[in-house]
Amino acid sequence: MEQEREKEILSAIHHCVKCKLCSIASFHPNVEWLPLCPSGQYYGYQAFYAPGKMEIFRAILEGEITEPSEGLLNAVYACTVCGACYEKCKQITSVELGAPELFEEMRRELASKGWILDVHKSIAEKIKETKNAYGEKYKYKAETTDQNADVIYYIGCTARYRVPEIADAMLEIFDKLGLKYQVMGEEWCCGSVLFRTGQVEAAKELVAHNVEEIRNSGAKTVVFTCPGCMKTFEKDYPDMGVELVHSTQFLTRLGNMNLKKDDLKAAYQDRCHFGRDFGIYEEPRALLNAVADIKTMKRENEQAWCCGSGGGVKSAFDDFALWSATERLKEAKEAGAEALVSACPFCKRNLKEAAENEEIEVYDVVELVNRCLEGRLR
Amino acid sequence: MNETFSKSVKALQAIVGERNATDDRAICTSYSRDQHWHFVPAKNPACVVRPGTKEEVRSVLMLANKHKIPVIPYSTGINVRGLTIPVHDGSILLDLSRMNRILEINPEMKTATVEPGVTFGMLFEQTRKHKLRPAFPDAPLTVSVLANYYLRGIYQTSATDGHDHTISYEMILPNGETLKTGSRALSEMPYFRSGVGPDFAGMFCAHPGTCGVVTELTAKLYRLYDNRKEYFIGFDDVGTPTEFIYNLMHDELAASIRLVDNQSWLEGIFGTFDYAYEKLPKFVLCVLVEGVDGIFDAKDKLVRKYMNESGGQVLELPAEFARTFEDECLGGAEKSCMVFGLPGKGNYHCIGLYGPLTQAAKYYEVHEKTALEVGIPKDHIHFYIDPIYSFHGQLCYFELDVFYDGSDAGFGDKLRNYNAKQFHRLLELGIYGWFRPYAGIIEPTAERIGYLAEVWKKFLRVLDPNEIMNRGKLF
Ligand SMILES: Cc1cc2nc3c(=O)[nH]c(=O)nc-3n(C[C@H](O)[C@H](O)[C@H](O)COP(=O)(O)OP(=O)(O)OC[C@H]3O[C@@H](n4cnc5c(N)ncnc54)[C@H](O)[C@@H]3O)c2cc1C
Ligand code: SF4
Ligand code: SF4
Repeated sequence: MEQEREKEILSAIHHCVKCKLCSIASFHPNVEWLPLCPSGQYYGYQAFYAPGKMEIFRAILEGEITEPSEGLLNAVYACTVCGACYEKCKQITSVELGAPELFEEMRRELASKGWILDVHKSIAEKIKETKNAYGEKYKYKAETTDQNADVIYYIGCTARYRVPEIADAMLEIFDKLGLKYQVMGEEWCCGSVLFRTGQVEAAKELVAHNVEEIRNSGAKTVVFTCPGCMKTFEKDYPDMGVELVHSTQFLTRLGNMNLKKDDLKAAYQDRCHFGRDFGIYEEPRALLNAVADIKTMKRENEQAWCCGSGGGVKSAFDDFALWSATERLKEAKEAGAEALVSACPFCKRNLKEAAENEEIEVYDVVELVNRCLEGRLR
Repeated sequence: MNETFSKSVKALQAIVGERNATDDRAICTSYSRDQHWHFVPAKNPACVVRPGTKEEVRSVLMLANKHKIPVIPYSTGINVRGLTIPVHDGSILLDLSRMNRILEINPEMKTATVEPGVTFGMLFEQTRKHKLRPAFPDAPLTVSVLANYYLRGIYQTSATDGHDHTISYEMILPNGETLKTGSRALSEMPYFRSGVGPDFAGMFCAHPGTCGVVTELTAKLYRLYDNRKEYFIGFDDVGTPTEFIYNLMHDELAASIRLVDNQSWLEGIFGTFDYAYEKLPKFVLCVLVEGVDGIFDAKDKLVRKYMNESGGQVLELPAEFARTFEDECLGGAEKSCMVFGLPGKGNYHCIGLYGPLTQAAKYYEVHEKTALEVGIPKDHIHFYIDPIYSFHGQLCYFELDVFYDGSDAGFGDKLRNYNAKQFHRLLELGIYGWFRPYAGIIEPTAERIGYLAEVWKKFLRVLDPNEIMNRGKLF
């Protein structure tokens, strides 16, 4: 790591006063003790809370920790990098600790030393081989309806191979609305999991491929159903001169869809990267409100509880991921919801698995829109 | 690590479960430093143990006692004075945060009984249902109620509550014996401090280390009133408001009274929105009045009378400001303790002491003098006074603050110089005592307390002959 950057990071770490206010949602004025950090809450040791992780990073940078240990890898990688801690910290301290960036940087530092979980290494291998994070044989999801369409739908690995109902719903929406769109001739993984787990080098090939495909398509807008993919394009890809939008933004913008509201009582799961990275809280809610009866949970928006699957957690620490999801489902039920609705395939997948033993449905918002869409634009 | 120790980790895992004890280096590192690291250097415990029950605590202590392994109890670790940072190699850090049950809230008795992991936030969430609250320190509401009361803190959020909120507790000693204080020793009713004989609860409290592990504590709760009103009065010096403070205390009128300076606590307390703090008078007295109908009105009337006679400037501060002050005085500090956002002054150093109000101006003078002498810039020097009921001896808490950038090693040196001079100067000037006898402050103090130091030493040896409890923190 460059010396200047190391200094900056250490300075940020020194400013953390270890107050641990980042472990709970804002207490006033509702006077409720609501945990915010899934990793700390599940594992308990200080190492799993933001201030503890920062201390570990300091010790690595200052040469106190010179070899990997199980605890080190767990503390660093059993964190969804959800950023809830920083949302809270910056509200009360305004110190410059961009915790998620810091934690991703810590992962890059670890990866550069080869200190990485086997399961994350094997994902990198799968991606190398199959160009998707699940090691699946490539499947065409749809035919491009118009080679010249301005809109290209980037489907992403999870909606392609694990929760295909989301991609199906989105494609049906395009069709029902009579919108022209493209899909990539050969869509490769966006590289999110590699970036989030510090394996930056391995992602370069993917970026180059996807950039070329998009440039060749001539599309002006890339639509994502996955905020994780969208974040990766925004943060880790070169500027392609195209607009990156999420399905919920895209659909809200259309504005005049002929939607028939359902009486389903639904709570909205803020996807961490979507809200905290892009500040998008309203559009998905507006869309959901058009198709369902929204129930508000105690922890929402900036201080939403993460579903538990991000940052490479689902693949490496499934128990923890499912526990976090179960906590969220309970909260949704307490709020009177019959369904928990996300706007992210990754959230949906984890929440759905956790919901197997809970009496609650899990959807992506595009599924509900598709269900309630009567037809063409009004 | 020696062989006995690695065997001990296995033995500890046998007591608390494999998941709850570890000597993993990274996990231990996460406990190695707090914000006092310029004064108490980082040091790893050799292992971290997370007991879930009293019986597990007892077994851990007995094992440590047998092998003479230092033990550092840790409830939430937010003490900001390096109190849970090990001094010796091979220490066990006993993380008690899993023990987080509220064992009883008794509205009739106005008490709560809690385990070490219960925080002020957790407790208040429950007590407010009974229109009761604990006495809040101006510490983040993520800190342990038990550890805070056991250490005896400062509760500037509500001066009316006084200084000591502990009624009784149960403590496990290194030899595995359970010691119960106050009426707990005699009956199932933990509601009376004095119980039998001397005030044992007081004797085991507020040591620089500890005598054992407190596993449950019964504390006082206080009423939450519907009628409340805040006043903010500006002054240009420390001396002028002292008469006003005296009157408020003498007539027992206000719940919270603090004189703060505009560039530190005020900005930290309320500074999460834009406000021209620098335009306020140098010192601001923040007053909160509360009470039942009738009494509230009478108190409020008198407060306003004294306020108008005080020679200060009554300030109209934004409503959000007043709301935060009220919320946090009577509901736990979240924003108000966070001065850490101040650019270039993100970390905080303070000497907290008890003394009479009559000495206020002198403490401020010596604070400024010493700070300037060691090269601390004037705009980093802050001060604050908090009178304490029932005001015998004009008891006040004084905080001599310096806000600084913790990543600036040179500033750390200045602060160490400041401490070296200031501890002695304050002792010369005359104080009642320190806010917590932590490392650095206790040494020059112990030299001055005569035979009491000998007795103190002997007392600790009786309870902890192998000196395993927070070894190195005292004597
Ligand atoms: C911003 C800020 C402002 C603060 N302002 C105030 C304030 O206004 N008033 C105030 O009183 N405090 C204040 N504090 C200090 C802090 O609140 C207390 O020190 C805290 O309550 C004790 O810390 P803790 O609960 O995390 O205990 P810990 O840090 O876990 O422990 C503190 C000490 O107690 C011992 N200990 C812990 N648990 C036990 C146990 N169960 N049995 C025996 N010994 C034990 C430890 O070994 C250690 O010596 C402030 C802290 C911060 C960060
Ligand atoms: S990250 Fe921020 S909120 Fe969390 S412990 Fe550090 S200073 Fe406090
Ligand atoms: S990023 Fe999320 S899981 Fe990780 S420490 Fe912060 S709040 Fe906890």
